Amino acid sequence: MIDQQLVTVTIDGTPVRVPKGTWLVEAAKQIKREIPVYCYHRKMGPAGLCRICLVEIEGMPKLQIACNTAVTDGMVVHTQSDKAADGRRAVLELYLVNHPLDCPICDKGGECDLQDYAMAYGQGYSRSVDPKVSKPKAVDLGPTIVLDEERCVVCQRCVRFDDMIVGERELVLKDRGVRNIIATANGEPYRHNFTGNVTELCPVGALTSKTYRFKSRPWDLRRTTTTCTQCPVGCQMHVDVRVGVVQRTMSLEDDDAISDGWLCDRGRYNVGFYDDPARVTQPMYKRDGGWVQIGWDDALDIWAAAIREACAVNPASVGVVGGGRLTNEEAFLLQHLFRAKGVANLDWRAGSQRQASPGRNGGTLVDLESCDAIVLIGESPAERAPVMDLRVRKAALQKGAKVIRIASAERPYPAPIPSTDVATVAEAIKKLPKDPKRIAIVWDGCDADFATSLLEKLPAGAQVLTYITGEQANARGAEAMGMLPFSEPGYGKAESGLDAAQMFAAARDGKLAVLSIFGANPAMYRADFARASFTAVSDLFMTETAQLADLVLPAKGPFEKTGTTTNMAGDVLPVNAAHSLETPADALSDLEMVVALAEKLGVELPVAEEVDAAVLRHLAKAPEDFTLGDARFGTSVILSPSKDPERRRKAHVEGIAFNVVVQTRVFGGGGTSAHDARIAELCPLPEAAFSPEDAAELGVNTGDYIDLVLDSVSDVVQAHHDNVGHDLLVEVRNGMPRGTIALIGGLPDSPASNLAGARVSVTNIRRAPEDAAEAIGAPA
Amino acid sequence: MPVVKVLTEGIGEANLRDIKVYRDRGGYKQLKRAFTEMKPADVQAICDKSGLRGRGGAGFPTGKKWAFLPAGVAPRYLVCNCDEAEPGTFKDRMLLEETPHQIIEGILLGAYAIESHHAFIYIRGEFKRGYEVFMDALAQARKAGFVGKNLFGSGFDLELTVHRGAGAYICGEETALLNSLEGKRGEPRLRPPFPAVQGLYSKPTIVNNVETLAYLIPILERGPEWFAAVGTERSKGYKIISISGHVQKPGNYEVALGTPVRKLIELAGGLRPGRKLMAIQPGGGSSACIFEEHLDMPYDYESLQKAGTMLGSGAIVVMDDTTDFVRAAFNLVRFFAHESCGQCTPCREGGHWLERVLHRFLENRGLKSDIEMLARVSHEITGINLCPLGDSIEPFLASVLKRFPEQFEARVARETVRA
Repeated sequence: MIDQQLVTVTIDGTPVRVPKGTWLVEAAKQIKREIPVYCYHRKMGPAGLCRICLVEIEGMPKLQIACNTAVTDGMVVHTQSDKAADGRRAVLELYLVNHPLDCPICDKGGECDLQDYAMAYGQGYSRSVDPKVSKPKAVDLGPTIVLDEERCVVCQRCVRFDDMIVGERELVLKDRGVRNIIATANGEPYRHNFTGNVTELCPVGALTSKTYRFKSRPWDLRRTTTTCTQCPVGCQMHVDVRVGVVQRTMSLEDDDAISDGWLCDRGRYNVGFYDDPARVTQPMYKRDGGWVQIGWDDALDIWAAAIREACAVNPASVGVVGGGRLTNEEAFLLQHLFRAKGVANLDWRAGSQRQASPGRNGGTLVDLESCDAIVLIGESPAERAPVMDLRVRKAALQKGAKVIRIASAERPYPAPIPSTDVATVAEAIKKLPKDPKRIAIVWDGCDADFATSLLEKLPAGAQVLTYITGEQANARGAEAMGMLPFSEPGYGKAESGLDAAQMFAAARDGKLAVLSIFGANPAMYRADFARASFTAVSDLFMTETAQLADLVLPAKGPFEKTGTTTNMAGDVLPVNAAHSLETPADALSDLEMVVALAEKLGVELPVAEEVDAAVLRHLAKAPEDFTLGDARFGTSVILSPSKDPERRRKAHVEGIAFNVVVQTRVFGGGGTSAHDARIAELCPLPEAAFSPEDAAELGVNTGDYIDLVLDSVSDVVQAHHDNVGHDLLVEVRNGMPRGTIALIGGLPDSPASNLAGARVSVTNIRRAPEDAAEAIGAPA
Repeated sequence: MPVVKVLTEGIGEANLRDIKVYRDRGGYKQLKRAFTEMKPADVQAICDKSGLRGRGGAGFPTGKKWAFLPAGVAPRYLVCNCDEAEPGTFKDRMLLEETPHQIIEGILLGAYAIESHHAFIYIRGEFKRGYEVFMDALAQARKAGFVGKNLFGSGFDLELTVHRGAGAYICGEETALLNSLEGKRGEPRLRPPFPAVQGLYSKPTIVNNVETLAYLIPILERGPEWFAAVGTERSKGYKIISISGHVQKPGNYEVALGTPVRKLIELAGGLRPGRKLMAIQPGGGSSACIFEEHLDMPYDYESLQKAGTMLGSGAIVVMDDTTDFVRAAFNLVRFFAHESCGQCTPCREGGHWLERVLHRFLENRGLKSDIEMLARVSHEITGINLCPLGDSIEPFLASVLKRFPEQFEARVARETVRA
């Protein structure tokens, strides 16, 4: 639509030069002239429904809508003429004929477009004397959203968002005329990963977040702009605080480069843990098997003494795990401190991800949109980096990119997205569009086999962009800052130390004296985790790892500290402490802890300016020589099944053994979501997914419940698990590879997280009640 | 003698639903001729030359509409609009039920003219009998080899798909029809893009009315000059008009455009004895009334436009002095409010508001200020809607408010006197 030829349009006497084809509303923005809109949205284009953007255009007898009028050269537009003003006034009066005018109890009051426009353009009274149409109030759409149908102005932004941006098409318009309402398709709960965005798209108080209803007035909120650190996308967001508590988060509409103006529900809603009573507020020391609260000075003394003693004997008996959830500055100082003590055992990789920096082929998030094909390997970006997944969807929905998934055990994309599932790299190559100009590889950073062989086989003419959707928000920053056993800050070669897996192995063999863990929970996600003789953990909560430690240090969360973080595309983004957010008095940021520990250990750290400069310098260096699955990162920590037949347990009832794939779910866990009452309802039930063929063979249907028994495992897993899963809800999933069972990792009280690579059998199948199976849509 | 028999030839005399009867009377001859002797461009040229204008309501020149199709883009579709639901209109229904082969032949000719290999017909949901008749006729035509692959050995494939509506007036609007045909909600689309550029399944699409397409047959048979010789300067040829209301012989009458209104009413048997003409709605529920003083006006597109109304679908409703114009206005406003899809605001909110106010008038509870308000609000919601439905509310209401204010005033509630 838009070409680069510039045209001049005169708006209220001011000439504006814009590319030909620009919508009039956008042209007006350039001279700060606001044309009111409800249905138009910059990311979704004109819809032509609300009719509030009426303007007078010379030479046209009727008022025109500015949203669907492309400017032409010499066009003369009046937005404030009597005729235009009268048109707007008339439309506004219509909006208020059936609007409940319940502003005093409406959450939108103070930031409502209907309120604002009625003040700016309305006539101040209504000619209507008849009763208003009544519609359902406080409609529970799903776990996150409540809808007031009477307040709705039927702009359909939410419906179009579900259609054009997310592709899930869950929200629909129902009925017609003055009785039309927003509803969910078939009355199903509204629960894709991006529902919260509709509360921001809604120009009025119709769609509201359950977490924010009746919580605050906009003018009572203190706003801070920061970066979301729930995943490696790094969406920019506003944090709104009142009475010391995070009341809500909002996207930045003009954040085109990173979030495209959207937030996922995890990032938006998982902010209620800061004031959770379970938070660690004091240093805790384990004495005689029980926890005692101690002061910071004692805690630092104990910690520093353990490190000092071990380093005196052998620095190789000291290890540090963490950094992927810290800021760049924290990760930098952390490795600086320990390297200064001669420690080389440093690794951020506390989970199953092995690599975060994509190397020379890294692309920007915006680049994804212009790819002809996007090949997904490993876990779905929908669950690991949801807002990045929105770019994948945008490329597919709006630009026709082909989405190909290799050997995916993940849920299929919603129907409007033409994704292709293949089993092998060779098939993926065959399914590529003809003469692709640009291909993106999106890899979860775990198992490298598909990624490396795909890179080798891609057609020569195409530009290849690679993306790694990791587990930890600042994994890429931690790598650049040198939290790797083989590289220094700036990816320089370092004296080689142990990686996390080797540290845990050493700990198991009694060879690791001190292990310090910063913002990581390996005990939950890794079967091979073992504590060292002395283990210190900094975290917000008593995680599975913290419970095994000797010393637990109360850390600050991401909204409580300041620094920078690096997203998956290498953008360095600000992390800002939220204004007036109440923080436990004794919590320290990891940076403050490192500084205090350095003092005790007698290590001089660089001053803040030097740190900032170093961070930028080291982040600027792209790791040119890395490629996906680079050998230096070692093999994936996913365990392979034991080869020893003695170790194999006899399969129980049904006798079919499945390879376990552990999958991330946006709301599946992590320390912060387990301690956030606001999102508890979003946490998925423990489930087990099978391919339709396997399900048929087993005789299970969607909605049934099963238990699992361990069939064969590596030595390590076996040590931990006798009971591997019970009451798992069955999902029959199309496109899944055969012989695989997909379990959700990170759920509280579910042992699945560290079962990756194990083999299990199914037992104790319980049928879903018939009506329940019908409701879920089980195959007959 | 103003009554002519072109499309209506044989209706009521022969069973035109039988393909044998239809063919014996010359049916499908023009189709064969077009496919074997003419190029698509020839058919287009003939249509253009005849001056045929769309018979669905908008009256847009058919040849000109076809010319909007971008050259060389395939596939392209022809959609026959048989979702006749304009209040007072019942001509397409008659053609559908009585002479379905004429519709099929017209569709096939139109599709050939625009080089479309897949045509659709969207039949109003309530036309159950018409649908059955049409399906039967289509089966006969298919058996005779007029629909399908390689028609008449020309190498030209042409498929015809039948779709039934589900009862929404709005789906007669061409872009809502296309949405409905695609399986979506029947809501008009924002224009541009126009259907000729991006229509059904985002492909170039022409939507033509049943009667429009049917007239292609006699135009091909007798030549464009024959058609253009009748009518007025810019309203050429014949038209089936549906006359209803207070006349003695309501029904469909095929006439030359430009026939005086008075003659049309005479055709329909005139008013009942002793009754006085009060108003005529000349072009369907969406048109403003004309009155006694317009009786000698020629019934054509330009004259009606000049009189502030329109020819529309050619549905004439005659109202005599027994008419309650408040009730009539309420009836039409309620219809439009009920049929509003509700996606755009003036039509959704305005229509319903006016309906509520008029309903109060029916109960003799009008307010004095309402009379002016009815006129103003109905005017304010006009011209700013996404589709023409919202603009259809004002014309009738405004014209009767102006002509018969006393009928409204009589329904204003008497002032309550407080003790």
